[in-house]
Amino acid sequence: MAVITTKSVTKVYNSDKVPVHALRGVDLNIEKGEFTAIVGPSGSGKTTLLNIIGGLDTPTEGKTIVQGTDLSTLSDSELINFRLHHIGFVFQAYNLIPVLTAVENVSFVMQMQGRPNKECHNKSISLLKEVGLEDKINKRPSELSGGQQQRVAVARALASKPDFVLADEPTANLDSVSSGELLDMMAELNQKEEMTFIFSTHDQRVIDRAHRVVTLVDGKIDNDEVRAQTV
Amino acid sequence: MISKIISLGWKNVWRNPTRSGVVIIAVLLGTWAGIFTAGFFNGMVQDSLDNQIELSVGHIQIEHPKFQDLYNPKYAISNSDKLIQSLGNKPYIENILAKSVATGLAQSPKNSFGVTINGINPQADSSLAVTQYIKEGNLPDRSSRNAILIGNKLAERLDLDLTSRMVLSFQDIDGEITGAAFKVAGIFNTFSDTYNENTVFVLQDDLNRLLGNSDLIHNIRIDTDELAMAENYAENLRAEYPNLKIKTWREIAPDLRYMFDMMDLMLYIVMIIIIIGLVFSIINTMLMAVLERTRELGMLRAIGMNKARTFSMVMWETGFLTLVGAPVGLLLAWLSISYFGNTGINLSAFAEGFGAYGISTIIYPELTWQYYLNIMLMIAGAAFISALYPAWKTLSLNPVEAIRKFN
Ligand SMILES: Nc1ncnc2c1ncn2[C@@H]1O[C@H](COP(=O)(O)OP(=O)(O)O)[C@@H](O)[C@H]1O
Ligand SMILES: [Mg+2]
Repeated sequence: MAVITTKSVTKVYNSDKVPVHALRGVDLNIEKGEFTAIVGPSGSGKTTLLNIIGGLDTPTEGKTIVQGTDLSTLSDSELINFRLHHIGFVFQAYNLIPVLTAVENVSFVMQMQGRPNKECHNKSISLLKEVGLEDKINKRPSELSGGQQQRVAVARALASKPDFVLADEPTANLDSVSSGELLDMMAELNQKEEMTFIFSTHDQRVIDRAHRVVTLVDGKIDNDEVRAQTV
Repeated sequence: MISKIISLGWKNVWRNPTRSGVVIIAVLLGTWAGIFTAGFFNGMVQDSLDNQIELSVGHIQIEHPKFQDLYNPKYAISNSDKLIQSLGNKPYIENILAKSVATGLAQSPKNSFGVTINGINPQADSSLAVTQYIKEGNLPDRSSRNAILIGNKLAERLDLDLTSRMVLSFQDIDGEITGAAFKVAGIFNTFSDTYNENTVFVLQDDLNRLLGNSDLIHNIRIDTDELAMAENYAENLRAEYPNLKIKTWREIAPDLRYMFDMMDLMLYIVMIIIIIGLVFSIINTMLMAVLERTRELGMLRAIGMNKARTFSMVMWETGFLTLVGAPVGLLLAWLSISYFGNTGINLSAFAEGFGAYGISTIIYPELTWQYYLNIMLMIAGAAFISALYPAWKTLSLNPVEAIRKFN
C-alpha cells in the first residue's frame, strides 16, 4: 500500500479577483522508502501540493490518503494531531524555536507526542549524531550555520517517527556545498532508516540526488521519472 | 508537557530582554507606587480618623433610647453600675467611659454660648482623651467645687482665663432651669475648633447635683480592641441589652464614616487606574511579540503543536511579564510602608493647615493585609485578562499563510 495517494487533487485559490488554478488534477502514489523530488518552475504548484499532502491545506477537489487515512475526514484539531504523529516537516527557513537548543528543539516534538523526557532526550541526541551535529547539541539556532540549522530540522522531522518527511525547498537558503551535504545526509537516512522523503526543489544538483523526480508544470504532473532503485 | 510549555513561555519572555524588561519594571514600579500611595493616604486619613474617634466618638456608645432626641437629662441609663461592671468583663472591651451630659448655655459677663456639658469622673477615666490636649491648668478635681475644663475657643468667645468664673445654665431632670457658677480649672486646645468651642467638662458629682440625681449616667462610651469589629461587637451588645440604644462610630459620626469609606474606595481607584495602564502596555507588548513571531507560531502549528498549547504558551509568557514585577513591587511597597510607618514622613514643610482636620504633619503610611491580598488578586486577575487577547490571537493563525511568508 502506498504511503501517500492523491486522487485528482485540484486547488483553486479565489483570494484574488481571478481564480488561480494552482493544481489541476494531480494523481500521485508515493511508496514507502521512496526518495522523491517534486520539481518544476516557480509557481507550478510544488508548495501547494506538499501542503495538501502534509495536511496543512485542503484540496478544492480530490482526495489525499495518507497511510489509509483520508485527510478530508479529519477535523481541524485531528489534523494537527495527525501531523504531529504521522508527518515530519522541514521548511525552507524558520524551522527551529530560537530560544531552545538543538537538542531541545528535537525533543520538543517528541514531548508534544507525550513521550517520557528521558526517551526524548536520548533519542534527540542520537538523531543529532546521525545528522553529524553531536558537538552542537547545546547550541541555539543562532549559533549554528544555515546548513546546520537545516540538519537539526531534519533530525526534528525524524524524531516524531513519522510515516514520511516533507521538505519544501529545504536547500533554498543554502550554498551549494551545504545543499549537497544536506541531501547526502537525507539520502543516507532514507537508506538506513527506510524513511520516505518527499522534497521540492529547483536546484539541479539536488534533483540529481533524487531517486524519483516528479515534474509539475502549471499544476499538472508533466513527467514522473524513476532513476534509481529505491529501497 | 505543561512544564515544557511553561518553560518555553519563560524563555520567550527573554527573547527581547529590553522590551520585556521595560514592561516588568513598569509593572514593578506601578505596583510599588500604587500601593505606597495608597498606604500614604490611608495613613493620613487613618491618623485623622483615629484622632477624631479617640477624642470625641469612641467605637461604640450606649444611651437611653430617648436621650438622643433632646438630651433631656431624665433619660439616664438605669442600673448603670451593673451595666458598666458587666461590660468591663467582656474581653474585647478595652476602655469604658461613663458620663452624665447636659446641654445648656455658658455665660460670662461678656458673652454667652451654647455648650455640651460632660460630667466626668477623672479618677475612673484616667484615659480621657482630652487630657492630652490641655494647654493650661488641669482637669477639674475634687479639691475645689464646680471646677470646669473648657476649650480655647470658648475661652476666647467668653473672654475667660484660668481661674475666671463663668455660669452654666441648663435643664434639670424635672424640667426646671438650673445653673451654677464654675471656675475655669483648665483650657484645652484640640485640632477641632468646633470641639474647642462647644464642649466643656465638669465633675460628675457637680453636674449630677445640679441635675437633681447623683447617680445619673447618660452616655457610656466603649473602646474595643478593634475599630473594624465595632459593628459586630455592637450587634452582640444589642442582643444583650435590647432596651438601650447602642450605636457605633459609623452611626454617631457619619462624616467620619464617609471619609473612611471614601478612603477605602480611593485606594482601590488609584490601584485600578494603575492596573489599567499596565494591562494596556502588557497587551501591546505581547501583541507585538506574537505578531513578529507569526512564522514561528505557524511552523509550530504545522509540526503539530495544537491550539491549546500555543494558547497556553502565550498565556504563560504574558503571565510572567506581570508575575515577575508584581511580587517585587509588592514586597518593595510593603518594605517602604513598614519603614515609613515607623519613621514617619514629615510634611511640616508643605502642610501647615493639616492640623485643623486632625491630620498630623508627620504621616505614618499603613495598609491592612486585606488590602495587600486584594491587590495581589487584582493584579493576578489583570495578568490573566491581559494574557487572553494575545493568546486568543494565536488561535486564528493559519499555518499555510504563516509558512508562505518564508518564501
Ligand atoms: N494563498 C494564495 N492565494 C492565491 N494564489 C496563491 C496562493 N498560494 C499560492 N498561490 C498561487 O498558486 C500557484 C502555485 O503556487 P506554489 O504552490 O507556491 O508554487 P511553487 O511552490 O511551485 O512555486 C502560484 O501561481 C501562486 O501564485
Ligand atoms: Mg514553493
